[in-house]
Parts: sequence; C-alpha cells; structure tokens
Amino acid sequence: MSSSILRTANGIIFPLTLLFALYMALKGHNMPGGGFIGGLIAAVALVLYRMSHGPDAMMRLMPVHPRVIVAMGLGIAALTGVVPLVFGEPMLRSIAPYISLGVGDPVHLPSALFFDVGVLLVVVGVSVGMIVRLGEEVEDE
Amino acid sequence: MTDHRIILLCVIPLAAGLISIALINRKALSRLVGILSYTLMLGLSLSLLLKITAAPDSESILVSQMGGWTAPFGISIVFDSLSGLLICAAAAVGLGAYVHSFSVISPVTERRYYHPLMQFLMFGVNLSFLTGDLFNLFVAFEIMLMASYALLTIGGSKAQLSQAYKYILLNVLASTIFLMAAGMVYGMFGTLNIADLARIVAEHEAANKELPAGFKSLAVMFLLVFGLKGAFFPLWFWLPDTYYTVPISIAGLFGGLLTKVGVYTVARLFPLIFASDGTSTILADGTMLGGTSPIIQTILIVAAAFTMFLAVLGAVSQHHVRRILSVHVISQVGYMVFGIAVMTGNALAGCAFYMIQHMVVKCALFLCCGVMEKHAGTDDLDKLGGLLKRDWFLGVLFFIAAMSLVGLPPLSGFFGKMVIIREGFFEGMWYLGVIGLVTGAITLLSMLKIWSYGYWNPDQAPTTNKPEAVKASCKPAYAAITLLVVCALFLGLGAEAVYKVANRAGEQLDNPKHYITAVLGDDAYAKVDELIDERIAQEPAGPASADGESLTLVNPEEEATP
Amino acid sequence: MTMVLAICVAVTFAVSIYLMLGRELKGVAMGVFLLSHAANLSILAMSGSPMMTHAQQEAEVAAENGSHAHIVDSPLMKDPPILASQYANEQPLATMVDPLPQALILTAIVISFGVMAFLLTLLVVTNRKTQTIEVADLAEEARKA
Repeated sequence: MSSSILRTANGIIFPLTLLFALYMALKGHNMPGGGFIGGLIAAVALVLYRMSHGPDAMMRLMPVHPRVIVAMGLGIAALTGVVPLVFGEPMLRSIAPYISLGVGDPVHLPSALFFDVGVLLVVVGVSVGMIVRLGEEVEDE
Repeated sequence: MTDHRIILLCVIPLAAGLISIALINRKALSRLVGILSYTLMLGLSLSLLLKITAAPDSESILVSQMGGWTAPFGISIVFDSLSGLLICAAAAVGLGAYVHSFSVISPVTERRYYHPLMQFLMFGVNLSFLTGDLFNLFVAFEIMLMASYALLTIGGSKAQLSQAYKYILLNVLASTIFLMAAGMVYGMFGTLNIADLARIVAEHEAANKELPAGFKSLAVMFLLVFGLKGAFFPLWFWLPDTYYTVPISIAGLFGGLLTKVGVYTVARLFPLIFASDGTSTILADGTMLGGTSPIIQTILIVAAAFTMFLAVLGAVSQHHVRRILSVHVISQVGYMVFGIAVMTGNALAGCAFYMIQHMVVKCALFLCCGVMEKHAGTDDLDKLGGLLKRDWFLGVLFFIAAMSLVGLPPLSGFFGKMVIIREGFFEGMWYLGVIGLVTGAITLLSMLKIWSYGYWNPDQAPTTNKPEAVKASCKPAYAAITLLVVCALFLGLGAEAVYKVANRAGEQLDNPKHYITAVLGDDAYAKVDELIDERIAQEPAGPASADGESLTLVNPEEEATP
Repeated sequence: MTMVLAICVAVTFAVSIYLMLGRELKGVAMGVFLLSHAANLSILAMSGSPMMTHAQQEAEVAAENGSHAHIVDSPLMKDPPILASQYANEQPLATMVDPLPQALILTAIVISFGVMAFLLTLLVVTNRKTQTIEVADLAEEARKA
C-alpha cells in the first residue's frame, strides 16, 4: 500500500486535512459542520497517514491510545452537559456569550463548543480505534 | 414539577463507566467505582420516588427539559411513579448481579471492559425508563443494546459467538423497524414527544374524531419491536439460547432487566397512545374514558395467553437450571402483558408491581443458579443433588425466591398475580385469568423440580468443589443473593406500601392528564377539557352517565360504538 | 420525488433482505448495513418537501380564513414545528425543509456506524475462533455447546 508518491503527497495532504477538520468543527455552530464531521475528517487524515506511513507511524502520532481519546471525549461532553446542573439549570443547557478580546469584534463563544470538542474526540477515537483494531486482525492472519 | 436532578440517574452510570475505563487494569478500584455507582443510583431513585409519592397529584411527576428547550421541541426527561419504581428495581438488580459477578467472572473477562459495559448498560436502561421522547427512546435502546451485545460476547467462547448472532441480528432488525416507525410518527403527527402524542390522541378521543389512516399499522410496528425486546409470543425464540451461554451474573441481569424494558415501553406507550381508537366515553363525573382499539387489544390478549402458557410448558420440558429459568422469564412476561391487555388503572398497577418483583426475584434465582453451578460444576439437574445438605443457606434463599416467583402468599409474586388476575376476571377476560392460574400451578411444578432434583436428592455425584471452598469463594455471591431476596421479601411483606406507588403509576398510565400537563405545561390539556365540556353539553343524559361511577366495570368498546 | 425515494427504499430493502437470507455471515452483515440505509431513506421520504408544505399551508390558511391551522387538524401536513410556529406565513418555509428528520437520520447513521463496527469485529473474532462464518456451521457449533 505504501508508495513514495502517496507518502510525499501526504506530507501536504495530512496537515491540510487536519486544518480542514478544525475549520469544519469550528464553523459547525451556525452552519453545516460540527464536531462529528470534523472528527470524521480528522480520522480520514489519520487513516490516510496510516496507509502511507504504516500502522506504527500512525500510533506514534497519537499521543494516547484511541480508547483513551474516546473516554476523554465522552468525559468532556458529559462534563459540559453536567455543569449547568450545578447552577440549577437543566442538563446540556448552553450559553452563548460574546467575549471581547480587546481587539476587533467580540468573539461568539457558545458553551456548546466544548460539547462539540468532546464529540470530535469521540469520533476520532472511535474511527481510528476501529480501523486499527480491524486492521490488526486482518494483518495477523 | 421541574426537577433537574433526575438526569443524574443517567449521568452517574455514564461517569462511573468512564472512570472505570481509566481504571481498566485496577480491579479493586473499578469494582469500588461500580458498587458506588449502583448504590448512588439506588439511593437517588429511592429518595426521588419517596418524594413524589408523598407529593400531591399535581406534583407527582418530575420533569427536566434537556438544554432548556421547551417540551414538544426538545427532549423531555420524565420521572413518574412507574419509571421511579422500575429504576429503583433496576438499580437493586444491577447491584446484585454486579456484586455476584465478583465470585464467578474470570479475571480475563473482567479486564475486557466488563466494568464500563455494566455501567453503560445501566445508562441505557435508565434512559429508556426516563425519556419522554420517542426518538430518544430509540437512542436509549441502542445504548442498552450495544452494551448488551458486548456483554453477551464477553470472553468470546465458541458457544457465545455462535449464539450471539441470533440476538444481534434480530435486535438490529427490530431497531430498524423502530426507527422507521418513529419516522412515521413524526410524519403523521409532527412530533415525537410522548406527552405531545398523548395530547393529540386525547384530543382526537375527546372529539370522537378518527385517528389518521395508518395509525393502527404504526401501533403494530411498535408492538412488533417492543414484543421482540420483551420476548412476547411469538417473538421469544431468541431468549433461551442467548441466556444459556453468557456468564451467569450477566444472564441474571439480562433476565431481570432487558425484557422489562420492552414491557415497560408497551405499558408506557400503548394505554396512553397506540391502543386508542379515537373514541371515548364521558363518565358521569366528567372524566373521559378512552376507547381501546379491539385489534390491538386482541393482539395483546393472544400474546399474553400464549406467552404465559406455552412458555411455562417449555420450561417444564427443560432439564437444565439455566434453561428452566430463562424460559420462565418468557412465561412471566406473559403476566405483565396480561396486565397491559386489560388496560384498567388497577391492572396496570398490578403490571408495574409484577414487573419490579419479577426483576428482583428472577435475578436472585439466576444468581442462585450461579452458586449451584459452582458447587456441582454443571447446571444439569441429573448431576445435581444434595445441595441442601451441603449449603442450607443457599437452599433457603433459593426456596424463598422460587416461591416468590410461583406466587405463594405472602411472597411478592402473589400480590402481582392476584391483582392482575382479579382485574382480568372483572373485565370479562376470565380465560386469561384461568390460563394465569394454570400457569402458576405449572410454574410451581418446575420450581419444585429444581428443588427436588437439586436440593433434596441424595448427593450422588462426586462434585468438583468442596462445599467449604465454594462458600469461601462465593462470599460476594451470597451477599448479592441475600440483598435481592431481602428486597423480594420486602416486596411481599410490604406489598401495601409498594402498591401505593404502583397504584399511582397505574392511574398515571390510565389517565394521561397529569403526564401531559407535567411535561407540556398546565394549559396543554385545556383543549381536551373544552371538548369534553362541549360533549357533556350536547348529550346531557348520555348512556354512559347512568352507570358512570362504576368505573372499572364500564366496557369502553360497548359504550363507544354508536 | 417522493415516488423516486419510495422506489429507492423498496429496492434497498429488497436487496438487504436478500442478503440477510444468505448462508454466509459476511453477506448477512452487509444486509444489516443496507437495512439501516433503507430505514434512513424512508425517514427522508417521510419528511416531505418544502414546496409542498408551503402550498398546503397557504391552502389551509385560506380555508381557515387567515387563522393558522394547527398541526393536529391536518396530520399529513409536515410543518417543521419550530419553523411553523415562528414563520407561519412567511417565505422561509417555501425554501426550507424540515431539519428534524435529518437530525434523526444523522443520529441513526452514527448508531448504525457503531453497530457495523461491532458486527465486523465480531465476524473477525468468530472466524478466528471457529474457522468459519457459514451460518450452518455456526448452528452446528451452537448445537454442540
């Protein structure tokens, strides 16, 4: 599977895809996109990297095992959901304040963003973990 | 009444599951987290249940709107008496099965995400009991099912793997039908909120207006889905094989919990919504008695009769303890369907009571079976024997649980069966009542079979394990069984107190007003009241108002057809 | 459009059922995946098209003499509930399709994604343990156990 053309091309494709994933994840609040889609795109980037550089190289790229990423993502999402309970609001209630940075327009920062980050992590973790696992099984045989 | 704490019943197992993923290689810690989570769930649900039981009718349903989106648009989480009872029982059963598993499950299995899966299963189960939204119910089912698929194949023995496909494929099929049916409900009514659907149906009933075409086929689709999950006749065939292969604690948990989720959804959705035929009778005191669609009721009656009777015959023919118990799960589901088929408030109360007692008792029996297997190395009745001499304590626990299942007074099964069968006779379904009684007798027979072969028989086989060794290694198991048997005894001896809650659950299922106003706001039911007032004004001396006060004796079909 | 979707749903269901009745679990698994697609398509078909909704809306409004007809009164009308309450007589309805069924489909896709992953892994594990993924052989295996 690994060819030098793919490997070289991936040097450009990989960072661009990750950037695109980030863009999709961030614009998701008001437009099509969001954590789920961003996560899928990021997972595609990682899988492509696995194809070009081999499974070990990809696992080196991941700071932790995919299952930990899933757990972290779920944890972040759940935490975002639970925080409003502390303030006597229903679960998952979100606020969308505009935060002024001092320069330029104030930034629209909804609390749902954290939930989306959680979703993104879950999707990346699940997709990558799944492909790693199935790939291992197939390559073993 | 709004109370945002109810969602904690879902958050606790989710959080515990996540924490135990992190602690995957720390056995003692993950066990501690698991026990803590079940205990917290049990405590929280009990305190909430006590709170709503003490509250007046108007405050007896706790609601939380997720994310603050108002009712028909957002997802509502509803904690009423029925879900409260079931969640309490589920937490108790979960705690029992979980603690029991410490003495039977292998360390290898335990490291394969056993602890998180047990928590995620509870997350799905609790969410299905709590949710007030049809699509969210689908999601809750899927969470529960995913965890159950994984628990079913945990360890991955050949037998497990080859049996798992039946369960998985059938459930995937059922989920697909559920999904389509939910989509159709949305297409038909423009809403998926259960309270909103109940409101729409109540408005149709109050105006005596026909429900849209295809409503009955929707009802049948839902019945198919929930019948499969709840193992109704004729959709039960997957159950005995599946429960036969899994580790016994998991079998106990599944036998106690999973079928009840199917039954619960039928109890929740059918009397309120899908069994309606769009007609109603106005009683003398101005309340409305919704008509029941004869087709749906007939399906339920047939399902109840065959589920009870055929399954118990199947159980008698079995010769392995696990198989006897699994087939009995089906037979007992028949009683609950019987309660739902009668569809009066009292019968539904009986159904609710029966559900919780069956969860506890059935799980206790499965867990006893686990210890029996430890003693004898098998669950084949021919190779068992002398257990009473080896382990009298287990014998006592098993006997109490078995007799509760059979329904001997004053144990818990009696009070469930009595109410359901009595209501059956009142409502002219004497045939179901008779079948119920006969089924009870045959249940006694098969329980006595286990008792006499397993406990009273002289000890014949050179059994694999020494009694002392088993007793020493099964301490958690004894604790778990004792917990569940004490619960069962409480349900039997304290039936009066439990029935107070169950009766309210029955009322809430029978009369949708409180549910609708609790979820949608106080004026949601106004239109129904208006329509009822109009009808009373139109026919001041209708035929129904003459004998209206004997509410349980009015047959809605006869009254409703002009 | 509805007709095209209906035919698509029918064909997808037919293919998936055909696959699921096969003798090999690989085919059965493929059938399961197609089945969820068929269900999603059917939800899409049931969500209706925006133009029709608006036309119906206008007809209703005209018939009811200006008062906004409630959803209950015309169950076949597929108003997006949130939009309908805010923009009852305005233009957006004509160009917008009800977003809720799409949210349902997205959720369902994610779930079937998970089920698919699980089923595939199970197939691999089964094949390794029992050396077969033929339904008949597995049934034999189950009988032995």
